[in-house]
Amino acid sequence: MAKGLGIVMFSGTADKFIPLGVLTQTAANLGVPVKIFVTGFALLYFTKKKPEPRFPKEFEDFVPKIHEGLERVNAPSWYDMLKDAKDIGDVKVYVCSLMAEVVGVKKEDLDPIVDDVVGATFFMQETGDYELIFI
Amino acid sequence: MGEIKVDARGMACPGPISALIRAYRKANNGDTIEVLATDPGFKPDVQAWVKRTGNELVELTEEGGVIKAVIKVTAKK
Repeated sequence: MAKGLGIVMFSGTADKFIPLGVLTQTAANLGVPVKIFVTGFALLYFTKKKPEPRFPKEFEDFVPKIHEGLERVNAPSWYDMLKDAKDIGDVKVYVCSLMAEVVGVKKEDLDPIVDDVVGATFFMQETGDYELIFI
Repeated sequence: MGEIKVDARGMACPGPISALIRAYRKANNGDTIEVLATDPGFKPDVQAWVKRTGNELVELTEEGGVIKAVIKVTAKK
């Protein structure tokens, strides 16, 4: 198993947050450290004023079924999964400094789940021997 | 030698494994943890977790859609 799991969280649609939560929590369960680099459209979901999650347009006919299914299986929200993962294991959430500047988000605007605002160099250095996935 | 029971029925993946870990944190070597779960992924998942952590899977059964896993805690440091 890899030394750790690095996740670049770029997408801002609700469907992509489900694997973010599941993979992070699973890695934490297995004692695998996780470092998440939040950038792109995902960044706004890590602020105190989170927007309503939205599903991608091309799958909108699936959305009611997914909502109904998630409720039926008692799936926790991605946010709760991340919080849980942080509680169980070694999970760090970093916000991309470039994207934070681009959208005018300051450190104090960020959700408490975020550990720090960092640059890509820091993230790449910290995850050099990790498996890296892009969501 | 305590016996810890975890009811993870109705929890979706990876909830039952997280529930097991919460119990495992409080357990000592020699204790057993019994987990009940309905998530169909729990059977392979608990086997993978045991393989990863080096604890002992004493029992793994399924009846009426409920999976029961009994783990003997042996790998706590």
